Amino acid sequence: MRCFALLCFGWLAALGAAEAPASAETAYARGDYARAVELWSEEILADGATAGRLAALGNAEWRLGRKGRAVLCWERALLIDPRDPVALAGLRHGLDVGGVDRPKPTAAEEYAAFLTADLWLLLAVGSFWTAVLCVAVPRLRGRAAGEVNQWTRVGALTVLALSVPGLWGGRSLDARAVVRRPETSLRLTPTRDGEPLRGVAEGDVVRTERMLNGHVRVRTADGKTGWVRAGEIEGVRGPGLPADLDQKAAP
Amino acid sequence: MRRLLSCCVMLCLGLLARAEDRVSWEITPRVTAPGQPFRLQIMVESDVVLGGAQFISREIKPPRGMALRLSGQLIRPGSNEATFNFSGVAPEQNGEHVIPSFTLRFTRKAVVVPEIRLRVSDQVAYRRETQARAELVLPDRVFYVGELIRGAIRMRGGEDEAVVASYGLESLAEGFSMTVTAERQAMPDALGQGLQTTFDLTPLREGEGEFSLNGIMLVQSGESGVFSQNGRDRPFAFRRRLTVAHVPERGRPPEWNGAIGRFVAEGLQVSKDNPEVGEPIRLRAILTGEGNLDRILPPELRGDETWDVLPANERRRRAEDQRMFVYTLVPRLPGRLRTPAVRLAAFDPATKTFSKLEFAPLEITVTGNAPAQVDLVTADPAAPAATTLKPVTGLAAPQPGRSPGLFAGSPQGTLGDAAGFWSANAVALGLVVVATAVTGVLGYLAAHPEIRRRRRARAVMRAALAEAAACQDRRDAHGFAVAVVRGLQAGVAARLAAEEQAMTQSDVERVLPGADRARLDRLFLRAHADRFAPAGPRGADDGAAEDLALLRQLLSLS
Repeated sequence: MRCFALLCFGWLAALGAAEAPASAETAYARGDYARAVELWSEEILADGATAGRLAALGNAEWRLGRKGRAVLCWERALLIDPRDPVALAGLRHGLDVGGVDRPKPTAAEEYAAFLTADLWLLLAVGSFWTAVLCVAVPRLRGRAAGEVNQWTRVGALTVLALSVPGLWGGRSLDARAVVRRPETSLRLTPTRDGEPLRGVAEGDVVRTERMLNGHVRVRTADGKTGWVRAGEIEGVRGPGLPADLDQKAAP
Repeated sequence: MRRLLSCCVMLCLGLLARAEDRVSWEITPRVTAPGQPFRLQIMVESDVVLGGAQFISREIKPPRGMALRLSGQLIRPGSNEATFNFSGVAPEQNGEHVIPSFTLRFTRKAVVVPEIRLRVSDQVAYRRETQARAELVLPDRVFYVGELIRGAIRMRGGEDEAVVASYGLESLAEGFSMTVTAERQAMPDALGQGLQTTFDLTPLREGEGEFSLNGIMLVQSGESGVFSQNGRDRPFAFRRRLTVAHVPERGRPPEWNGAIGRFVAEGLQVSKDNPEVGEPIRLRAILTGEGNLDRILPPELRGDETWDVLPANERRRRAEDQRMFVYTLVPRLPGRLRTPAVRLAAFDPATKTFSKLEFAPLEITVTGNAPAQVDLVTADPAAPAATTLKPVTGLAAPQPGRSPGLFAGSPQGTLGDAAGFWSANAVALGLVVVATAVTGVLGYLAAHPEIRRRRRARAVMRAALAEAAACQDRRDAHGFAVAVVRGLQAGVAARLAAEEQAMTQSDVERVLPGADRARLDRLFLRAHADRFAPAGPRGADDGAAEDLALLRQLLSLS
């Protein structure tokens, strides 16, 4: 309930938010991308991640040549708003001219991208409860279900059936990761000395499968499977800002 | 006068002289055969009141091969005499065996017991088989560091004695680790009556070590039962010097990894017969046999061009005397592959030779594609340059202030990941299901009133039965008839869906066709006659059992 209230508050806050400070945009416009990254990162840390901020941060990271961070920002922006134009344009640019690979979305994923994962879940839960109450309430009152009740029941079950592929596609979209290291090898076996099969570039999006021995089995955009070290990729689901891979772990 | 004076002086000297403690002992029988049980009694007489004795068993040190235990002591309060009884078993060697002098410590003073001598001679007629005896089962050979030695103490009953219990097992094993694996188990039938305690010994270092075991077994003689009073305890003591050596380096194979004993390579198992290239599978090598299974280091498997080997946790199933070595294998190539060879060597301490064990490799069919080292690209150098232009793309202008709308997601997690989301839904669904079920049950009961009516009738009939029985005890014939009639009316009314008060003998006959009409008339008349006229003289309460049977029959129908 608390989480739901926080989400509602977040939406309302986003609706009523004033225009963002122009300093980051100004820095971006004059080509000071490092400053723009710094300012947008601070903004995300202070006020929370929105699709617009993440997409803008992705653009600045791309300009700095940090493909992994940029693609991750765009992917996370699309998790918040699947139709964010800046993030979609950035990914399209990366795929067309930036040398980045991204698995072609499945039918369920394209369907799921129509709404956010939370909205699919709310639709499914709401329709489920509507159907349950349509069945239970007449029984509890000891009366026969009326015509309106029957139509509501059919409608709720239809919405529930339509939201199931959305939920499935949302789960599939979550099971992806972005390659963060510039020289990453797809290995045959999950060992340190595993035979490198081929290289995957920084910024490539891969589907993740299982973990073993500190490695993750991934499937690339062209269907090749192999193992990469867990630290070489970062999941699409995660906190707003990409992880700082150069930062040393705390003792 | 002079004689009188000398007598007084002698008397005074006698009084002042310090009396000596008198200690005597007796062994029964005086001369024993090797291994024959005996009894030792020590009697102490002192000039002062002795008080309680302490640490008797700790002071006495029997010679090598002799078992001796304190079996009882007799010290009366305020007395200057004490008696100690020991039970023992003579050593196996002929000759005179000396129990060194020791000190008996009483509350008031310490009394020194002189050395005690026991003569052992094989000229004494003694049949070992008649009495209970303990035997140590331990191989008589050189042992090896890390070896698992299985030993046992067999407490065998004799022709005249049976072993019924044992207790107080003490051991001293220098340079060995000892574990009792089973205590007081019944011996196999082939070995006769008795108990057996088994143990495992593992030598820890090279050299000679002393191993001693002692304890007590409770024996019972004659034909009496277990709970009779003629049971007695009999000690046993074993001492052995054991020689321990290292497994010889000569002829030791390089793959020897600490296995000492006789083992059998049972076989290999894999978790999947047809994995894909790069898919991990589990390989289990099962080793069985007698020996130090616990101490064997897992054989090392090296990866090669076909398999990559990862470390894995192994499990040991102790009850089945087997050891399982587990490996994770990852196939590197497709096709029919053979699992890597698992080899180890074992040292047999009985034959003092090494033997090699090899698990037969399994054939696995690996599916998938071989890793391509080079992606071959076929291109025609004479072909014209690409005519299709690359799409014009670029980054869009950032819009950090853009609002996504009402239903924005979160990059960190979905609503379904929130704590309590699914549990709250499950609880609410459960409540709805329970409420619906309760409503359904109540509706069913409302639609079928006969269920409640019959239930109430059953309760009334049971109460009527109880009341009728009470009236019968009070010899109240009228009360008895009223109770039975009330029960019958309630039961019949429930069956016919009618009012209880309106039920007559005819209604009872409809429900119970075999009922005696005359008896029913008498019963109803006796119950309801008071309504119409003063009660007449009460007749004898004949046939009460039949009336109750009628009511019970109706109760069973309801």
